Amino acid sequence: MSYYALLFIAGIAGSFHCIGMCGGFACALGGDPRGPSATAVRHALYNIGRLTTYCFLGGLAGGLGWAIYTCLGTRSQLGAPVLSESLEAVQRGLAVIAGLLMIVMALQFFGVRGARRVTTGFGGSTLATALRSLLGRRGHAAPLAFGVLNGFLPCPLVYAMVAQAASTVDVLSGCLTMVAFGLGTFPTMLLMGGLGRLLAPRWRQHGVRLAGSFILVLGLVTLGRGIVPITAHGLHHIWHFA
Amino acid sequence: MTPSPDVLCRHCLLPLGRRGFVRTVNGESCQFCCYGCCIAHQVKSGSGDASEAAWFLVRFGVGSFLSMNIMMFSLLVYSGAFTGSDRRVLPTIHLLLWGLATPAVLVLGEPFLRETWSQARRGHLSSSALIVIGSLAAYIYSTLAVFRLGGYLYFDTATMVLLLFTLGRYLEAAGRARASRDLAPLLAAESESATVVEGGEERRRSVREVRAGMLIRVRPGERIPVDGVIVEGCSHIDDSVISGESRQIAKTVGGPVLAGSINLDGPLLIRSSGSGDESRWAQICRSVREALRQPSRTQRIADRLVGAFVPVVLALAGLTLAYWAHRVPFGQAMLAALSVLVVACPCAVGLAAPMAHSLGIGQLARHGCLVRSPGALEALAVTRLIAFDKTGTLTSGSPHLVDLARDGVGEHEVLARAAGLERHSEHGLARAIVLAARARGLDPIATEDVRVVPGRGLRGVVDGELVAAGSAAFMHELGWQLSPALVERADVMATSGHSVVFIGWSEKARAGCARAALSFDDTPLPEARATIAALRALGIRVMLLTGDHAGAAERVAATVGVDDWQAGLPPDAKRVALDQCRPRHGAVAMVGDGLNDGPGLAWADVGIAVGSATDLARETADLVLPRGGLWLLPWVVDRARAVRSSILANLAWAFGYNLLALSFATLGLLQPILAAAVMAGSSLLVVLNSLRLERLPGPSYPSTLQSSAAARGASEPGPREPAERTRQRLEIPHTWGESSPRPET
Repeated sequence: MSYYALLFIAGIAGSFHCIGMCGGFACALGGDPRGPSATAVRHALYNIGRLTTYCFLGGLAGGLGWAIYTCLGTRSQLGAPVLSESLEAVQRGLAVIAGLLMIVMALQFFGVRGARRVTTGFGGSTLATALRSLLGRRGHAAPLAFGVLNGFLPCPLVYAMVAQAASTVDVLSGCLTMVAFGLGTFPTMLLMGGLGRLLAPRWRQHGVRLAGSFILVLGLVTLGRGIVPITAHGLHHIWHFA
Repeated sequence: MTPSPDVLCRHCLLPLGRRGFVRTVNGESCQFCCYGCCIAHQVKSGSGDASEAAWFLVRFGVGSFLSMNIMMFSLLVYSGAFTGSDRRVLPTIHLLLWGLATPAVLVLGEPFLRETWSQARRGHLSSSALIVIGSLAAYIYSTLAVFRLGGYLYFDTATMVLLLFTLGRYLEAAGRARASRDLAPLLAAESESATVVEGGEERRRSVREVRAGMLIRVRPGERIPVDGVIVEGCSHIDDSVISGESRQIAKTVGGPVLAGSINLDGPLLIRSSGSGDESRWAQICRSVREALRQPSRTQRIADRLVGAFVPVVLALAGLTLAYWAHRVPFGQAMLAALSVLVVACPCAVGLAAPMAHSLGIGQLARHGCLVRSPGALEALAVTRLIAFDKTGTLTSGSPHLVDLARDGVGEHEVLARAAGLERHSEHGLARAIVLAARARGLDPIATEDVRVVPGRGLRGVVDGELVAAGSAAFMHELGWQLSPALVERADVMATSGHSVVFIGWSEKARAGCARAALSFDDTPLPEARATIAALRALGIRVMLLTGDHAGAAERVAATVGVDDWQAGLPPDAKRVALDQCRPRHGAVAMVGDGLNDGPGLAWADVGIAVGSATDLARETADLVLPRGGLWLLPWVVDRARAVRSSILANLAWAFGYNLLALSFATLGLLQPILAAAVMAGSSLLVVLNSLRLERLPGPSYPSTLQSSAAARGASEPGPREPAERTRQRLEIPHTWGESSPRPET
């Protein structure tokens, strides 16, 4: 359980990054002329859409991890010990990827410029152009659709979490990983929807740096998990420790 | 590019901070505090022209929300999350899946259902019928399974299939919107301008800025830019473009005039009665959008093929069901039939042509080339012969002064008087005179009461004295003398293929006489030779069809490197010449400026107008190249071929893929879910293959010409500059030259 709690916290910390990325969207989504409750519904739908995408990506990644694992497992055909070994190999490989992504993005928080290009150049603006048409539309369908598609926007944090989800090698755990992370991003994003313009820039700068440090630590831990050969027990130990 | 720290972010209006950066959005440099704000700003600041695409995107988004939930639970079920003790929650999960699938099918399936229904009422079976039948069958089967508590569920298949098709529709609509977005700035530049009189000052303005009540000055020979009422002056108006009847109507103060008609003689002041937005600009916009919306020829064939395909597939599905129902349990037989339906949905086929086509049109549009007819690109791709008009197409079309013979007067006086008179005309020769005077730094002498004498020339009054310019016959009509020396010089000029204009004036109330002869020549465009060589390299035969006399045609043909030419052709004869080429070369294209080759442009398989010099060209041409855009032609041909090969590859792929998958499905070897994946792969490949078009290189100006163009730009301010180029040559049929006819009139 503490694993999911950790991810939830990662979501909260990471959502300071979201202020930069998706917070812009939450602001742009704006209010509903029919009053504050309609605005709340609008933003709730947006966030639910986002969460669904994360959750789906997590499930898919978990399934994929599982498929890779089964593939390796059946190919070796040598019984249980090799199976658990290959599981560990897959998990470690994915953990290394997740860790590296997190570190790269944490460096971004501290303003390392080259990193930005690595992580955000994947056709983000094409999708963004497609989303353009949805922002101004009224009604409840558009914000939901917007949230769903927003979830697919290139975000290194989401990549990292998806890699994390894949390393769970299980659909359900993959889903839950992303749900925990997604829920973590809720408070800030909902706040951004309502108070986006009121946040003081200084506070924002601090928040960004705090998030950066946290994600850097998380990335290093995840990377370590991938590199240092430890048993499943030791792994849990590390997680508890973290 | 490091932005200054005190600037506010363009999107969130917070200070930029250290991480700020600069991006160009919609051609405007904007500063943002972060990447998110940049994207959000791009998203927010776009035009709202894509409402159809947006509508599909909303459907797609909401549909994905539901289908992703369905898939997630399905994945959980498949991966065995609900085995053992959790097995009792399975019926609840199934109900939940049904609850999610029902709205998904409604939201996603509605457009297809509507289309199927409207086609069915007209007695057609469209390809969307396959989608509807396939997904509804999967849905109903699964619904029955839920409530009878048995069998597998295929909600994920049903919604996934619909989702993919919705994505296809969205891509189509977005491609169209994207292409028309590319067109917007081009059309703005393309739109005509009007001379607006404000507070005694005349200003050239885009027609779109003209509002009701504004005063517009229209010179003789100009097209009237907006609907309105004459408040000053009188003139003959030719409104054949609007009424279709070629006649001249005398109009005076209070008379209504229509946008598009031509002011023949006499300057007019018009009070606009409506916005200029309503007339030409809107028409061009509409015709281009129309071209984007209409299916191209290949697509129509593909659609017809699909139309024939649909009943076959339905029959095949029925047969599959009947065959397997005898051998395996009904549920499995049904699955095989479902696979047949799902895998046969020709979604990639539907995407194959429009995607490549829209991208091609949009890309051409970004470089100023308007595609007006849907089949133009495909026809151009198979064209093996391109016929060129001479004047204004291979030559600059704006003649320049080459020689000046005088009879006892100074060269500067001749030019200053001529320019004073000719600046009231839009004729090509008149422009040449004005430019020549400007190049010598001469001030035109103010001339009043200027009149065009159709077929003869111009006359006006300076300080009470008559001044006139035009043909020798015009001089004779005025009773003015031509000295033998002047006539001799003029004859020499005319025999060398130049146009000649005489100018004369009266002095101290005595009868005037012709005082000078000016000769003009039309030079081949610098890029013509390189363009023709490039077309040859593409395997295209090039020929020259001109109304001009053989001497001029031969000279130009030799200069630009065309060895096949026909001269002295009146407009209708060009049509005949094109017809003669057709049996040997198949599709033929004609390139012209539309001045007197309108019939040829309309008659050719692809009519290409360069510079859209006249409105007639715009109406008859399938493809319009920008002003001075002849050099783009090889690139356009190349692009048209790329579009066509991309369409063909897409179709071959889509059909081949579908047929192969279909045979597997018929044999019962393909599960519906796999079939859906196969289809998704097919669509994705088609999209990716089409998107390759985006990555092809843009046009490059012939490198040999770049340096000379730069040098010319520095030394010769004028004739070759696009803005300075003759906007609209006079459409009035009048010949000025003496012995040599004005080239190609």
